Amino acid sequence: MADEFIKGVGIFTGAGLGWIVLAGWYRTPSFESTRQLVSPVSPNPANADLFNLLAIGLMDVLLWFAILGPLAFWVLLPAARQARKAVEGRRNA
Amino acid sequence: MSETDTNTDGSEEARTDGGGPGIVAPDDETPTWRERKERTTGLSRLTYEYFERARREDQDLRTESDYVERDVLAFPTWPHETVRNLSIVAFFTGMIFFLAATMPPHIGAPANPSSTPAIILPDWYLYWSFGLLKLGPLNPDLAILGGQKLTADRTYGVLANVVVVGVIAIVPFLNKGSARRPVEQPFWSAVGVGGVVFALTISLLAVKNLMPMNVHLLFDLTFLLPIVATTITYAILKTMREGYMYDLNRRYYRLRPPK
Repeated sequence: MADEFIKGVGIFTGAGLGWIVLAGWYRTPSFESTRQLVSPVSPNPANADLFNLLAIGLMDVLLWFAILGPLAFWVLLPAARQARKAVEGRRNA
Repeated sequence: MSETDTNTDGSEEARTDGGGPGIVAPDDETPTWRERKERTTGLSRLTYEYFERARREDQDLRTESDYVERDVLAFPTWPHETVRNLSIVAFFTGMIFFLAATMPPHIGAPANPSSTPAIILPDWYLYWSFGLLKLGPLNPDLAILGGQKLTADRTYGVLANVVVVGVIAIVPFLNKGSARRPVEQPFWSAVGVGGVVFALTISLLAVKNLMPMNVHLLFDLTFLLPIVATTITYAILKTMREGYMYDLNRRYYRLRPPK
């Protein structure tokens, strides 16, 4: 149980840190702006060079990893385990 | 020597490093199956099972052959605490360097001292005090004065600061802090949660011209949300306390037992 918790926390903080840095580079026009981290990507991915394109892709990957990773370890896997245990308990009863 | 009288663990095989009573969980304090079954509902049951498991793990640790009972209720400063603190310091220092290197903030134009900005605000940790200056709607206009107010709104706000700081200063005299966990004193925990929520809501009131919501609703929520949070906290902790074992806590914290 504690293992699953630290896996979720590790993914959330690690991927979140990577995402927030990349979003600070590509989706933050200014630190005085009221739309930081969520502004449209700049430079435009359509004519960005390879390294910028990789970083922009990595930014989205890290964001979804930070969302889906904890969801899997904190909710989905424990729920599946509970469900399996319940099914087996009912079968044995 | 009522302290030692309660240590009827009878575990002479436990080695100690300087005499004194071993504080091993006595078997006769372990609840019976009947007592366990009496606590069968939801949150109190969960609380009970959590602390029961903690007690059991502690008991198992203490009965291991290489366990040495110590007279101190803490770890040594060197190396245990120091190494831990240094690693924490290193982590946060590294994090500051990392963020400063990857996201260097743009330094804007110098401030113009001859013009006042449209929005003036103190630093964020003083928003609560700034919010207390905006309690004008609470300042009553008295019929006896012909609808006049007894004090100006700005004086009223300053007096509100005096009242809030005074209440916070009085709290340590009303509650000496003998509880080791919130579950032991649901009322004071609820008061604390309400205070924290009020600090948050009054800070939001301070920036009401930046808040994307109705100002009157914001003003009402500023005072309603702390009451709601206090009530919920009190209800939850009061429920949890039914499953809480005071004996476990007293064993761990001999220095300042709960009242």
